[in-house]
Formats: sequence, structure tokens, C-alpha cells
Amino acid sequence: MRRPQRSCPFCETRVHFIDYKDDRTLGRFITDHGKILPSRLSGTCARHQRQLATAIKRARFLALLPYIRGLQG
Amino acid sequence: MLRPYEAVYIFDAGLEDPAINERLDRFHALLGSPSDLKVDHWGRRQLAYPIGRKEQGYYVVAKYNADGKALPEYERALRLEEGLIRYLITLHDRELGAPEMTEEQLAAANARRDDDDDDEE
Repeated sequence: MRRPQRSCPFCETRVHFIDYKDDRTLGRFITDHGKILPSRLSGTCARHQRQLATAIKRARFLALLPYIRGLQG
Repeated sequence: MLRPYEAVYIFDAGLEDPAINERLDRFHALLGSPSDLKVDHWGRRQLAYPIGRKEQGYYVVAKYNADGKALPEYERALRLEEGLIRYLITLHDRELGAPEMTEEQLAAANARRDDDDDDEE
């Protein structure tokens, strides 16, 4: 079954290159556990999804975003 | 060849501001004190996860043009610095984030967002 077409939130706001320092925006694209949200759920286009993955990984390294969250450990 | 870089430093939140500035000056002197240096102090903020025993860090973002040949020595100094919890140096050859919008574009974008909200209801 075809999933409904979603428009890319980054294309809509005309972001050319995603900022890894913007943890508030990036925080919308991770799950409750801290995983990167797949593009089929967020509607992000392939180009921005690739940038997003890099940006989130950089933000994690800088402790702006968690690697894992909500798990006991 | 000069290339634009962006560095994010995370200092120990326990350091005093003059101590942080002194360290920044020392780091940037190793790059030949770039004339186009832009330093943005984010200040103390909570780390998303503890690094070592530290829960807080003092974030500083610096942008500069530097010769790549100067980087290894500069990075060595960063690694040896005790007060620096973490750092990240990236090439900054393109503008990041959303472009600045004029008032009209902003209003249009907000109107569009309001429309979207209506659809969901």
C-alpha cells in the first residue's frame, strides 16, 4: 500500500544545510529513546535525511542530544 | 590555503570566565590569531548525558579561516587541555540552518503553518 506523501519539513523552511548545533530542531527527529526517526515517519526527503543523520550524530557527540534515553541502565 | 572552520568547545563548567577566555586566546594564537575570528559564548548548559562525572559544560562556538597546516598542532593543544571536556572542528564552507527570512516571507510561512494546523483538526 502506498503511504501518503508528506512534504519534507526542511524543504518547506528552505533549509539548505542542516545545522548540527540546533538541538531544538534536531530533537524533533529522534524517537523517545533517542533513535533517529526514519524518513517514512518524518517525511524528510532523501537529501535532507542524509544531512539530518550526520547532524544528529554530531549533536550527540557534543552532548546536545542523548545517544539513548528512557532506558534503565 | 585558508579554509573556513567552525569549532565547538565544551569547557568544564567549573572554570571561571577569565580562565576560559585565556584558553581560547591560547588556542587561537596557535592558528595565528585569525583576523576574522568570531566567538560565540553559549555559556553553561546541561549535557544531554554525563561525560565522565560532569553534568554541565560551558559551550563556546568559534568560526575562523585557518590554514589546514596549522590544525594538527592546534588540535594537539586542545587534546592536552584538561579543562576542555570535548571539542568538534568542522569545515564551515556553507551556511547552516534556515536562511534569514524577510518579514513578508515570515508572515507567509506562519500563515501556511496555520493552514496546516487547520487541516489536522
